[in-house]
This record gives sequence, C-alpha cells and structure tokens, in this order.
Amino acid sequence: MTMKKAALLTLTAALATLAACSKPEPPNIGYAPYDKGYQSKMDLAQVDYKYPIPPAELAKITPDYLAKLEQEQLDQLYARLAAGPIPDGAFDGRILLPRGESGKFRLTEIVGGFSGTLLHLKGLVIEDIGEALWRGKVFYRDERVLRNRIEDLSILKKMGLVEGEPKKMQYGGKETWLLFPAKLYCGQSLLDARRESIIIDYFFTDEIPGYQESPDYLAGRRGLKVRDEIRMIRPGFYLGRAYLDRGFALNFTLYDKATDERLRDEFVKTGQVQEDCWPGTQARITVASSKP
Amino acid sequence: MKRTPLAALAALVVIAAVAAHQFGSRPVGDVLAQNAPPAASPPAMAGQPKPEASLIDQDAPYHEACARQGLSQSECVGRLIWFKATAGNERFHTYTFQQRIGVLVDWFRVLRADQRDDRFWAWGIINDPACCKPGDPDCPAKSAEETYGFDWCPGDDVLLKYVGKPGYVDPACGLQDAPLDADDPHSKGGQRDQRHSPCDLKFGTSTGALGLRKFPNPRFDAAKWQALNGGNASWSGFATSKFAATGVDSDQRASKLADASVEPPFLIGTTCGSCHIAFDPLNPPADPAHPKWENIKGLIGNQYTRMSELLGSGMPKSALEYQMFAHARPGVTDTSALSHDQINNPGTINALINLAQRPVFKGETVTKWRKVTTCGDQKDEAKCWCEPGRDGKCWQMSTRDDDTTPVNLGGQKVVLPGVHHILKGGEDSTGALEAIQRVYFNIGSCSEQCWVNHFSDMRQVDPEQRGFGQTPFNVGQCRRDCPNFRAVEDRLQTILDFFASAESDQTDLAAARANERRARQPAAAYSASDLAADLEKEFGKGAVGRGQAVFADNCARCHSSIPESAGGAFATRDFAAPNEAHPRKIRADFLGNDQSTPVTEVGTFRCRALHSNHRAGHLYMEYASDSMRQRAMVADIPERNELKDGGRGYLRNVSLVNVWATAPFMHNNAIGPEICGKPANPDNDFHRARYVGADGKLLASQPDCLRYDPTVDGRFELYKRSMHELLHPKERGTKRTLTNADLIIDVGIRPLEGKTEKPLLGFGQVRIPAGTSAGFLNGLQHKQLVADLFLAKRHPDKLEAAGKKNQLATLQAMADEVLKQPARFVDILRERRDFLSANYETCTEEIENAGHRFGEDLSEADKKALTAFLATL
Repeated sequence: MTMKKAALLTLTAALATLAACSKPEPPNIGYAPYDKGYQSKMDLAQVDYKYPIPPAELAKITPDYLAKLEQEQLDQLYARLAAGPIPDGAFDGRILLPRGESGKFRLTEIVGGFSGTLLHLKGLVIEDIGEALWRGKVFYRDERVLRNRIEDLSILKKMGLVEGEPKKMQYGGKETWLLFPAKLYCGQSLLDARRESIIIDYFFTDEIPGYQESPDYLAGRRGLKVRDEIRMIRPGFYLGRAYLDRGFALNFTLYDKATDERLRDEFVKTGQVQEDCWPGTQARITVASSKP
Repeated sequence: MKRTPLAALAALVVIAAVAAHQFGSRPVGDVLAQNAPPAASPPAMAGQPKPEASLIDQDAPYHEACARQGLSQSECVGRLIWFKATAGNERFHTYTFQQRIGVLVDWFRVLRADQRDDRFWAWGIINDPACCKPGDPDCPAKSAEETYGFDWCPGDDVLLKYVGKPGYVDPACGLQDAPLDADDPHSKGGQRDQRHSPCDLKFGTSTGALGLRKFPNPRFDAAKWQALNGGNASWSGFATSKFAATGVDSDQRASKLADASVEPPFLIGTTCGSCHIAFDPLNPPADPAHPKWENIKGLIGNQYTRMSELLGSGMPKSALEYQMFAHARPGVTDTSALSHDQINNPGTINALINLAQRPVFKGETVTKWRKVTTCGDQKDEAKCWCEPGRDGKCWQMSTRDDDTTPVNLGGQKVVLPGVHHILKGGEDSTGALEAIQRVYFNIGSCSEQCWVNHFSDMRQVDPEQRGFGQTPFNVGQCRRDCPNFRAVEDRLQTILDFFASAESDQTDLAAARANERRARQPAAAYSASDLAADLEKEFGKGAVGRGQAVFADNCARCHSSIPESAGGAFATRDFAAPNEAHPRKIRADFLGNDQSTPVTEVGTFRCRALHSNHRAGHLYMEYASDSMRQRAMVADIPERNELKDGGRGYLRNVSLVNVWATAPFMHNNAIGPEICGKPANPDNDFHRARYVGADGKLLASQPDCLRYDPTVDGRFELYKRSMHELLHPKERGTKRTLTNADLIIDVGIRPLEGKTEKPLLGFGQVRIPAGTSAGFLNGLQHKQLVADLFLAKRHPDKLEAAGKKNQLATLQAMADEVLKQPARFVDILRERRDFLSANYETCTEEIENAGHRFGEDLSEADKKALTAFLATL
C-alpha cells in the first residue's frame, strides 16, 4: 500500500466517522415480533411489559426514525408512551406515512374513515392535502384549545372547499392562518385503552372562539370528523394518530425544539415528567437501557 | 383500476356495510394528575386509608338484610360486594364506552331525581330505599342544586364535597372483610391476610338506583358546568343535541354528550347487582317505585331492567349504535353487546336460585390459573406468577380435569365435585369463582387495562391491523395490571358463599301467598296443600298430581337434575323433595340438568347458540373449558361451519325452580306476552311492536303489552299466559325485532348554505327505513364483505383461491354498481339481501319465539295440569 493510498483510506475512514458522528444515534428500541394477521400482534400490555423503553432511548427518537417504521412498530411504540403534559405553544408537525408491504396501500390507508372516503371520490388523497397544508399545531393549554398552523390554502380553494379569505391571526410575530380549532382534553386512545392520551377533538369545532365556518367546518362534524390523539415521546416531542370518523388515517409528530433542548437531559436523567392524564394502573418498568 | 376508484369502492362499501349492519416511570411519568389513582393499592392491612364518616351509615340496611336472612359474615360481605362493587368500571361507563366504543349514556335522563317515581317504569331499575328526592321532607338535600339533579343517598354528605376535588376515600376502604379461609393457599392456613385492598372494589355511593353507583369526578369544573347547564340541578345543556344552537338538520343527531371535553360531576359505575337485584317474589313491594329493603333480593335477576336502552340512552333512535344495542326485551341483555361478536344474541339475566343444588360436571378439561404457594423453578410468567411483595401468593396455569367447587353452606364447607356450566350455552365452564370474576368484566371492570384492546373495532377493515377481530384477553396480565381484578379475585369465595346463602333459596308460590295472607292477617296460614287445592280449583281436579306425571313423562329428561340412574324413576319421583343434608333443606332437584342440547333440537332462537366470544382466539377464551370447545358440531344448523364450530350450537337446559316467578320464557324472554313499563314520561316508553305477519312486517294491530307487575298475582298471571303460549305454539304469534326508527347516518363533507347542508357529491346521508331486521343488521359481516369486494375488483384470483369463485361475479357486479351510483348503495345491498344472508350473515334466524314445542301435542287437560304442577315448584 502506498502512502497515498493509505492517506486516502485514512481520510475516507475519518470522513466516514465524521459522517457517522453527524447522524444522530438511532434509538435502541425493541419490538415484539409480529406477522401479517391481526392475531399475530402481541397484546400491548405485554409489549409494554416485555419491551420497556428507557428514557435515554426515547431521547434518541427522531421523526426520520419514526418515518421508517412500519405501522405495527408505530403502534407498539405509541402504546409504550404516556400522555405526558398537555402541551403549550407552537409545535412543528410532520405527517408519517408508513406504507404497506412493497409500497401497496392498505385498506385502512384507503378508507381513512367514512368521511375521508368522499375526499377520495374527488380524486384527493388526504395525506397529500395534509402535507401541503399543514405546518403544525398551536396549543392553548390554559384554554384547552388547539389550532392548526396553515400556510397555504390554495389546494382547498382549488377544490372549492374554501370560499373567501379566512382571517389570519397573529402568532409568533407574524400573521398566519390558525385554522381548524379543536378541543383539547385527556381521553381515550382508540388504539390503546390502558392509559389516556391527549385528545385533539374537532367534532365541536364550531363552539370554539375564532371559528370560521369556511374552512374550519372541514375538520368538524360536517366534515372529516377529525379526532387526533397524542402521547409524549419526550418533553417537546409527541407522537400522534389522526382518525377520521373514528377510522385510523395517519400518524404524525409534533415537535418543539426549544422545549426538547431545554428538558431533554433532565428527562434522560430522571425519567420524570408531569402527567396530566390518567396514567393507567399497569406498573411501568424502569430500565437503564433497553436490550431488544 | 386506479387507486381512487378502488379507494372509493372500498370506502363506500364500508359505509354501505356498516349502514347495512344497521339495517338488513420507569418513572417516565411522575404521577401528578389529580385524577390519577395509585398504581397499586396497599395491602389490606398496611395503612389503608379510612373513609370519612357520613351522616348516615350506608351499610346499615345491608347489615340488617343479612341479619334478617341469617347470613354468615362471609355471605354478608359477599352480598355487600355484589350490591356495591363496581371494581373500577365507573371509568368505563363515563369515558370508555362513550369515546372508545362510541355509545353515549345519558345518565341524568336515567337517574334524575325529579323522575324518581317513574324510574322503574321507564328503565326497570329499582329505586334505592335509602335515597331520597332533594327537597322531600327529611331528605338531607333541600334542593337538586346540591346533588347535581340526582337523588341524595347515604354517604353523599361526604362524596359531594369531593366533586371537582381530589382526595375522596372510597367507602369500600372501610369494608370489614370476611374471616380468612384456612383452605385458601394464599392465607397461610388462615394466618395471613394477603388480600388486596378493598379500596379497589370501589363502592362510591348509590345513585338512587340499586346497582348504579356514583363517584365524585375530580376533573369536574363547576364554572364550566354551570355555564353549560344553567346551574347544577339539571344536565340539560350536556344532554342535548346541537340542533337548538345551530338549526342544522344533522345536528339533531349530534349530542353534546359526545363532547368528551365536558367532565360531568359524577362518574357512574355499575355493579353486578345492576342486573341481578330484583324484587323478592316472596315479599313484593306495595309500590314498585317506592320499595322497602325487605322487598329486595340480589340474586333472582331483574326481569324488568331495560339495560340495553339504558346503555343507549344518550343516542337518538336514528343512531346506528342505538339500533345495535337497544332492542333487547325487558330483563334481557346481550352480554356480548359491549364485546360485540356481531351476533344478535341477547339473553335473560339468570335467576340464581338454589345454587348448591345446581349440577356440576366432573372430569371436564379446564385450562386456567390455579392458586399455588410457590412457582418453584418456573420462571415463565405465562405459566406461573407470584404477586410482588406478597408471601407465596402465586398462581399457576395448568390443565386439569379434577376441578371441584367448594361452597360454604350454613357455616359448613361443601365441595361440589366438578364445575358448573354457566351462560345460555354453558360456555362459561371453568369454575364458579372464575364465572363470578367474568361477570365483572361483563360490567366493564378492568376494561381499559385488560379488555378493550382485545375488542373487534367495527371500523377496522384491514385484517393486518389490530382491532380487525377479537383476540383473547389474558387473565394473568389482568391480574398483574388491574388492581380492581385483584380486589375482586381475593374475595370471590365470599361472593360465591353469598350465592349459596339463604338469599338464593327457592321462592315458592305457596310461601309467597302465605306471606301475602300474613301481611293482611298475621295469624293466617297458607301451605303447599292450600296452593295445590287452589290450583286444582283453577286448572281442574287432580291437576297437580296429573301435572307431575306429565312432567315426569315429558319434561324431566331435561328439567331434572337427578337422573333416573341416581334418583329412581321419574314416574314415582317427588320433584319437590328437600335435600335433607342441606342446612336449610332446600329442594333437592334443581329442575334442570344444565346439560347441553343442540339448538336444533330445542328449536328456540338459534343465534344465541352461535355466540362466539368463548371460542379459541376470541375474547373470553380463557373462561371456557377445553371440553366445552370440543363439543361436536351440530350438523343441521344451517349456518356455515365456521359460524357454528368451536363447541357452539347448543343451549343449556335451564332450571324450572320457581318458574312461576320468572316468566316470560326462553333465553330471550320471547315466549309469553311482551311486558312493558308504560312510564309517565312517553319519551322513556321503550316498548316496541314485535308481532309480524307472514310477510315479516309488523301487524297493524299489536297485542297489548302487559305492564310490569311484580306482585304475587302479577307474576302468576304472567306465568300462566306464558305457559299457555309455550304449550300452544300456534297461538304465540310471530315475533321479530325490526328497527323502530329510520336509521340515519350523516356522511361525508357537508358545507352549509344558510342552515342547509349541501353535501359534496350530492349525498350526505344514508337512510335506512324503519322496519329493517335488527338481527340482519347485527349479524352482517361487513368486514368480510369489504375485503371480498376489494378482492373481487383487484385480486379476483385470490378470491377464487379462497373458494369463493361462485361469489365472484356477484361481488364484482356489486362493486361496479356502488362505484357507478354511490348514492344507491343501500338499495344495492337491499337488492342483494339473499346473497348477503347466504354469505355474510353470522346468523340467519330472525323469528324469536319459535321452538320448544315440547308438549304441544298434550291434551288440553294435561297442559293445564302441567301448568298447575310447575307452579308448585
């Protein structure tokens, strides 16, 4: 080996190492084995019991990590989370679209609730609309209200679903649409009953101050009947599930960088966090590190 | 085919099918929440919190009842638990049922104090004699504002202080437990009390109706509540539709009860007694709306309760869920309504009478958890588990065929040599203690921790996803994770002791008439001979004796618990003979052998026999014996094999003890007159027409219903009329349950134009006219249909490979039609009704009062004789 080749190899190795260092370390999270059929999925209580996730591993989860998971893995992960505190302030949102095997869509992805089906009839795909429209959520914890940050209404306008120009609201020093108001409360998860989730419920959206019939009705009871539920991965980072007319539609994440950076180390150290919702009665196991 | 049309197809079929379904820390968390219960309650003897003393001791009438009936301490504790313990299901009945399952209960409608006098007639539930209407003389509450519109009940002086606040100590914490059972492996020979804290039995206080209990909601926000309801006395703003506020048509069907952000003042729980507490046939109340404690018993079963309507009380009649849940007859409830198996199979609340004489079955193969004192080397928690922090309190999962049933009778332990067969088909078959524990699941206890995650989600149509179908819940997991389970499990023997107590003793007509006469004239007497004489006056000379012979010849084969091989010939048998060994000498013959008879032999409403929750892989799998599941398939049941396998297809031969008091007949109360309450509030009149003509449609003229009458004469009259129908099948008429309101489902995106909805695609509503078969809707396998329609369009090869080649053309045609004319999908399904019935119905039986024609060929004299004789038992 020549010096030049050796230097090149060293440089390559160094670059590789640097590259690795620049990537966040993936979490070491175990998942119960499963097969295709619903019967093959392990009871969520047992998943929680047998595959506990240490706070240090929760702290490593990123939206990119979640985006690569299959739906069953997301379900298992969600079930091992607690609701945590009802959030306050603005969170960035991202829709997670786990696909079925070989990219084929699954029935649930097709159906997306009864109301969502009608959007399909118009040649629309809910998640595509969501990606284009939705930027995140703003929680008004004290009022137990939530509004969605929307930056582009053009798609909905083209579809004739929005007439006129909804009023913008001041948020974070700039004017934006804060649309689709929802009620915020602790309630039942439609996936995992063992402890409550934080529910974002649009059914009575028209009762919330600032409601604008068009386009806000779209998420309410005369629209898609949206009901979201979220659980905390770590402070400032939540995993959510969106349902349309009680039918599961998609997963999403909510992230507040400032809160995450401020509270992450303490969370890893103590695992302590405020629980605003009923945490259930299943004892949760403390583990120093996971051994999937 | 492109994605969108396929999506539309699948989606529409879901809508259509569901529509048709109606018609045709590690501390990650530091628990700071004010509503959060402790993860595990402390042992009973270790610093258990003490409930605050209340003005009136709510246990006093219970202790008086125990004394009146001579119950032992164990029996009395069991009774108290049976009447009062919700075992934590107040969360189920306030949150889970509404949010997870989607059914709304209007608890104020059921329990409002201002309609207390009408409560029994409307809902069939029994007023708690200890409670009072606020404002009535001597009632501690002077206004409904103080009680949030409910009755005031003993213990409420304490409970009401905690509405909207944490810190309520449940009265169950004050339970004085029964003495330890020295034979219990976990008691260390009766020396160590390792029972779970009684706090987790969760008693709360009475709501004013027996078996329904209330708990203060710490999340309650008084200001919000008052703003919504205009005060505390009424829940009118909560239990109302949005229509008044918006004027939009579909909002007539949008109840504010669905707003789970509203926290009511109380969480409402149910006890086993909610269905089983009933009026004492021996001592009925003078006024059913105002019973006294001595009129009440806890085991005979409430023949009048409208539990299904009660649980659907917050739904409009047009709602899918209402038409699914709320069509059982009085005294009947579908125990698989919550844990839905898509089979229309409501059943009566069993009368628990003379339990010690009830047959048990030896040699049955039962796999279940059994108490042991150590797991030894076994580390697999699925096979053996010891409760942490306890001394040798372990359970081992094992399969055995020598289980017995110990019962304490009059202070003496008796070991019954086998296990019982319980439920209508004998499905519950692992032991009496387990059966009692199972009842707590039925009423929603531990639902969140152990049960609901195993339900079939009616909206989940992807077989690869959780919730597509039932999975069995895990008793071991539930024991580990649900403190309420442990609180009940550690006291099951006391409840069983109560079952075998004097409270379950036979309530003979002769004794009932004697009590009536003594009430009028203390010195009066009325014996069994007097009854026989009176019966013979009514049914003919010698009727009782002749009836006994008729019974021996025609009925005893199924309706005697003592076979001829053990008790001699039926022809010479005294079926009323006492068991001399029993401390109270109750009747020896249980008058039913509890054995399984193929439903096709009995001929009664078949769907109940197809109940599937106890099959392998289904919700209640752990509560059925291996022997039960191995029962031979009943070949002549017309449904497909996969709908009748796994030990299904049978009905248990029931007891005729005190049949005079428990009419109408059959497992669905369908043979006999329809009974009703005729309440003063017409909105709460749930009686529905069920008599149909040959065309299956309701008769224009319906027979009058018989108003609830728990008096001795009232019960006897109902018995006679039911017996007449039983023995004269041609005079029964034909009963079929049809939807009693147009079923309306608002679907899709519906922007407003003024107050009018202008739905996209031109339609926003599925309407299924009243008069559709409720059974057909209940039994439609919409998920299978969706999957097959999908395959028919996308992967016909897979459908053929699944053996459905013959269905392919029809399915493809249906799919094409739905895609072409989505607004017609209800009609499309209706037009294919026969195809759907043949291929996608769990049970095709719709006539509810057919079958059990045994005795129809008897002479009229013999029919009367049989009626007379059975009234003596």
